[in-house]
Amino acid sequence: MRTETRNEALWKFGAYIFLMVIVVLVLIPLYWMIVAATIPQSEFFSWPPRIIPGLQWFDNFQALQENIDFLNSMWNSIIISVSYTALSLVLCSMAGFAFAKYEFRFKEPLFYFILATLVLPIQLLIIPLFLLMVQIGWTNSYLAVILPWAANPLGIFLMRQNMKAIPDSLLESARMDGATEFQLYYKIALPTMLPSLAALSIILFLNQWQAFLYPLVILQDPQMYTIPLALAELVGQQRVYFDQIMVATSLAVTPIFVVFLTMQQYFIKGILSGSVKQ
Amino acid sequence: MATIDITKLRKEFGDDGEQIVAVDDFNLTIRDGEFLVFVGPSGCGKTTTLRCIAGLEDVTSGTIEFDGRDVTDQRARERDVAMVFQNYALYPHMTVRKNIAFPLRLSTKQSSAEIDEQVEDVADLLGIGTLLEQKPRELSGGQQQRVALGRAIIRDPEVFLMDEPLSNLDAKLRSKMRTELQELQSELDVTTAYVTHDQTEAMAMGDRIAVLNGGELQQVGTASEVYRSPTNEFVASFIGSPSINLFTAEVSGTTLSGPGGFEYTLEDGSLVTGRESVRMGIRPEDMRLEAGGAVPSTVTVVEQMGNENFLYAEMGDIDITARIESVMNPEEGTDVEFGFDESDLYLFDVNTSEALKTKTGETDVAYEKYIGETT
Repeated sequence: MRTETRNEALWKFGAYIFLMVIVVLVLIPLYWMIVAATIPQSEFFSWPPRIIPGLQWFDNFQALQENIDFLNSMWNSIIISVSYTALSLVLCSMAGFAFAKYEFRFKEPLFYFILATLVLPIQLLIIPLFLLMVQIGWTNSYLAVILPWAANPLGIFLMRQNMKAIPDSLLESARMDGATEFQLYYKIALPTMLPSLAALSIILFLNQWQAFLYPLVILQDPQMYTIPLALAELVGQQRVYFDQIMVATSLAVTPIFVVFLTMQQYFIKGILSGSVKQ
Repeated sequence: MATIDITKLRKEFGDDGEQIVAVDDFNLTIRDGEFLVFVGPSGCGKTTTLRCIAGLEDVTSGTIEFDGRDVTDQRARERDVAMVFQNYALYPHMTVRKNIAFPLRLSTKQSSAEIDEQVEDVADLLGIGTLLEQKPRELSGGQQQRVALGRAIIRDPEVFLMDEPLSNLDAKLRSKMRTELQELQSELDVTTAYVTHDQTEAMAMGDRIAVLNGGELQQVGTASEVYRSPTNEFVASFIGSPSINLFTAEVSGTTLSGPGGFEYTLEDGSLVTGRESVRMGIRPEDMRLEAGGAVPSTVTVVEQMGNENFLYAEMGDIDITARIESVMNPEEGTDVEFGFDESDLYLFDVNTSEALKTKTGETDVAYEKYIGETT
């Protein structure tokens, strides 16, 4: 008994050490990013490297803003990512609900068709999509970036899998209580799916926040650039603006933290428990 | 409140040529304010019938009418029917208060204050007034059951449907809820259709019982009717616990002879005239230990219930059961003989299984007469 608890304690100790090493490894680049954003570029490659943040952040930011109008790009990124995430959540959850809980003709083939589109690489779709956007005159618009990917196959798949866990009797009960089919979706299915929706929203937001290739093709006007496109501007043939890049990236990660922290509260375990007696 | 008329109901499941008929040629009238119990083995179509009444299943053919109003093609939410599900189906993200208020919020334009008042009335009626702010997962099984009932009651529907609502409760709570449900139903006086596989529950609760088998309605009647006068062998064997002893007997004249040396001469031989064989049924409670009785058998097991004993025995290759007094404890292997009264005997057609003879004799004996007889 005694040795067992001692062994357990040792295991726990070892596990914590291991986890802390991982945490440090993850945090080092982030910390370096913050340090680098606050020092002049001349000190970038000094040896030993600087570990104390400097006072240059505001100067670096000013240079960045003059160089590429970073705040405008941030605004573009926020509008695109937030509206994309919201729209995609609605579409994916609706489609997932239909695939999980309704019977209709060609349901299975349609679902596998949607899954199959997951294997198409983005490079394959870029040219046809670009031509389409040119035809309908949507180049350099938010819509052109948001709409083509809004019905996200991965999101539909995730929502379908999770919504299958909603007991049929729960929906039938609501039907008998007088709910319309749409009310089933937003009064019963959505609230019970909050954890999945939160997880999916992080995935969707990150995807769009980091998207580079497709926005690069569709958005040619620098006024419409998202953050990844603006950052690319800082890597010139003659010179790389490391100080400005570091300021920009340190700012660019903040919305991701915000999204993570807001969504975290919805990761409630077992939200469906207690609804039906097994 | 409503009278429910079900006419020629048929429900098939499956497609691509493989049809399963769940309910076939089903005709039944559930009277206004009646508590009717559907009972039968699993897969007999009782739940499907209930779901057709609810509007959760489309019928293949036939009609369902509430008070003469054809609801066959109406959706569940248009029928003014409330249902309690076997697994309660409470909305997990809502408090008890919101769960119970949900139907009212959807179907009426009452103000929040009015709805709150009704929710509290219903909760008090069910004894869950103190639980209103809790979530379903914080409740016990019995409390969840009451919330589910509350959600059904609050709408004051025309029809209550209950799909094995007590089957998830432990035995003690189940019998308590059984009584509460009956009281509640008679108080509210709402037409109720109740599904169970438990014949004891059916007998105890129903004003009338509808016995189903293989998607077909076998018999509708009061507990006493289905017990005493089953229309066929299935109803006789399904109703009653322990179940009726059944075996085939050869007929010669008015004498019936069966396995293991069974022999009995009928006083009224006209019932078996012209038949070569007949199915016989004797209920365990009608068997009595009797020297020289018609049923010779060998004891296999005696189960002691305290107030009585169940005696399991073999008559030839037939297993028979008898309810005997608790003082009788014959050992395994003892040869015993049972007798019975002809008035308690059931006879069924060998081919059609239809009843030829069921229990006869008085049923509703007046108290004074009964007292007079026994004292």
